[in-house]
Amino acid sequence: MLDKIQKDREKRQSAWEAVINYFRKRSLYMLHYCTGCGAIELPPIMTSRWDMERFGIAPMATPRQADILLVTGYASQKTIKRLIYTYEQMPNPKWVLGFGSCTINGGIYWDSYNVINKLDRYIPIDLFISGCMPRPQSILSAMKKLQEMIGKGEAKGYERYKQNYEWYKKNQRKLLERETPFLDGGEK
Amino acid sequence: MIFLILLKAFLITLWVVFIGLLFLGIGRKITARIQKRYGPPFYQQFIDVIKLLAKESIWHHWIMILGAIMALGGLIATALHVPIAGILPYDSNGPIFLVLYLSAIGYLGMAMGVSASGNPNAPLGIGRALTLMLGYEIPFAAVLIIFMGLTKSSYFLQIAQSQAGGILHWNFIRYPLAFIGAEIAVQAMMAEKPFDQMIAPAEIASGPLVEWPGKFLGLGMIQMGVSVFIETAIITNLFLGPSHNILDFTLKQFGIYFIALCINAVMPRFKIENAAIYLWTIPLGLGLLQMLITFVL
Amino acid sequence: MKIKEMLENIKKEFPYIGTEIQEEKQARIYVCNDKFLNILTYLRNEKFEHLANIFAIDWIDEKEFEINYNLWSYEYLVSIIVKVRIPRDKAKIPTALNIWDHAQIYEREVHEFFGIEFIGNPDLSPLFLHNWKDLPPMRKDFDTEAFSRKAFDVGEREGEK
Repeated sequence: MLDKIQKDREKRQSAWEAVINYFRKRSLYMLHYCTGCGAIELPPIMTSRWDMERFGIAPMATPRQADILLVTGYASQKTIKRLIYTYEQMPNPKWVLGFGSCTINGGIYWDSYNVINKLDRYIPIDLFISGCMPRPQSILSAMKKLQEMIGKGEAKGYERYKQNYEWYKKNQRKLLERETPFLDGGEK
Repeated sequence: MIFLILLKAFLITLWVVFIGLLFLGIGRKITARIQKRYGPPFYQQFIDVIKLLAKESIWHHWIMILGAIMALGGLIATALHVPIAGILPYDSNGPIFLVLYLSAIGYLGMAMGVSASGNPNAPLGIGRALTLMLGYEIPFAAVLIIFMGLTKSSYFLQIAQSQAGGILHWNFIRYPLAFIGAEIAVQAMMAEKPFDQMIAPAEIASGPLVEWPGKFLGLGMIQMGVSVFIETAIITNLFLGPSHNILDFTLKQFGIYFIALCINAVMPRFKIENAAIYLWTIPLGLGLLQMLITFVL
Repeated sequence: MKIKEMLENIKKEFPYIGTEIQEEKQARIYVCNDKFLNILTYLRNEKFEHLANIFAIDWIDEKEFEINYNLWSYEYLVSIIVKVRIPRDKAKIPTALNIWDHAQIYEREVHEFFGIEFIGNPDLSPLFLHNWKDLPPMRKDFDTEAFSRKAFDVGEREGEK
């Protein structure tokens, strides 16, 4: 009996999700976090050359209203902290786009003392855009891909963050709240 | 009887929200075309509102919810007192003073709601909105006084009816200075450029709306649509003659909104103090000049 | 005034310094640790009033740090770099705070990235790095790759065997 009720509810919910996913994918507000490089690639896709507003994607000024967090380029140890604040301020459902090689594996700064190598360890990323720099076309195609994923209900980064919250927090703390040096000989 | 009034009020509310959002959507398309872009579809604003209403919302204080509802409620109450092609939910002629009074409630509700959100940008934005209100109310009142003096009444419908008899009798031809003054004031009322200091996304991060997530922003968007509807409806009643049916009226409204959009698309932004000074000189001067010409000469 | 005459004048005043002209508008002055404040004061009075920045170089093979004071003159439009060498194991140098107030922030930065102590500078607290516990990162004996692997959990990369 209880199983049946549960199943009915899930069915209703998935039908509702399917309907609402259509609206979600057609209306995306984007917050761009451009402390790294590559912010210059965004104006062409916002303005008349590629015009992302025709897909319903609009820039937003505050994390409270945003659906997409676009992280361009490298994130340093100091920016990752602000990035986490920003991400956690955004209301669900939310998606993160990693822009450029640096968000994937550190890019050309792979052995720097200050640049995060895998951004995916600290906040859940739904889609990476590779390249250094990615062309505006590839950003636009990533947006289309993200819309597709949202429409099918595949882009679930925010739920991954909820489910693996402990793991993400552990990684964040390891970096941000460390008390001992990472290498031997530390402490200046 | 009361049920009939309530039903009418409900239908008019639906119409107002629908037309308001449609105008905003078409506005986005037109702005895009002016900027040589393809632009979103004309129904984009409906998609946005539905998505926002389905999104998770966060509030820091119950005053935030109260403020959001009061802002929307105040504006819808205002819309119910502005005649749409002579139609009002109750038997009246559209009292001007009531409309002016009620339209302030929307802003006060918004001020309350956003101040409770606790973000420092929000009171900054609302402060600008209230300063701007101080700026445009005075020239607008000057324009209203002309027509109230001419028709010896304080009702929208009587002013609209007094323009009967062809386009040459419409107020915007007979009193062009007052029309230009009122247009500038309405530009400020709609917070279109050059009077969008209160929103200013690059400057104070969307101003009053900075801390309004999800459903709040959805209500805020509906509210924006309703306020566009009210402001265009007031101008249509005052200047664009009597309307025979609702389509006629809506087209006239759209004409007014179109002018505002075109100015918006090509203008930069005033500083807030310059905006207030500008509103107190040019439109007010035009209104007073028209008054002088009409009543003294 | 030509840069050559200028350096000769300085050399007359302080015979123990080494000079080098690099370009038409750029010169270097080499000076030892205990005399460099005199020369900075002198240069400041001689219209080199702008301290553009302070930076350090780690000469690990020679076991020395080199502190550089980058000066600029608005009157002659000439840049002079004053180079001071100090031993690496005893990395201490008097502050230039009495000559330029804004040397404070440059010295703080150099202290953070090289661990060089500026005697007399009241505030050398961390400036840029977040919660840094290891060796100062710009020193040559700091292994940045090993740090990166450990801190950011990179592990072995593909195709790297």
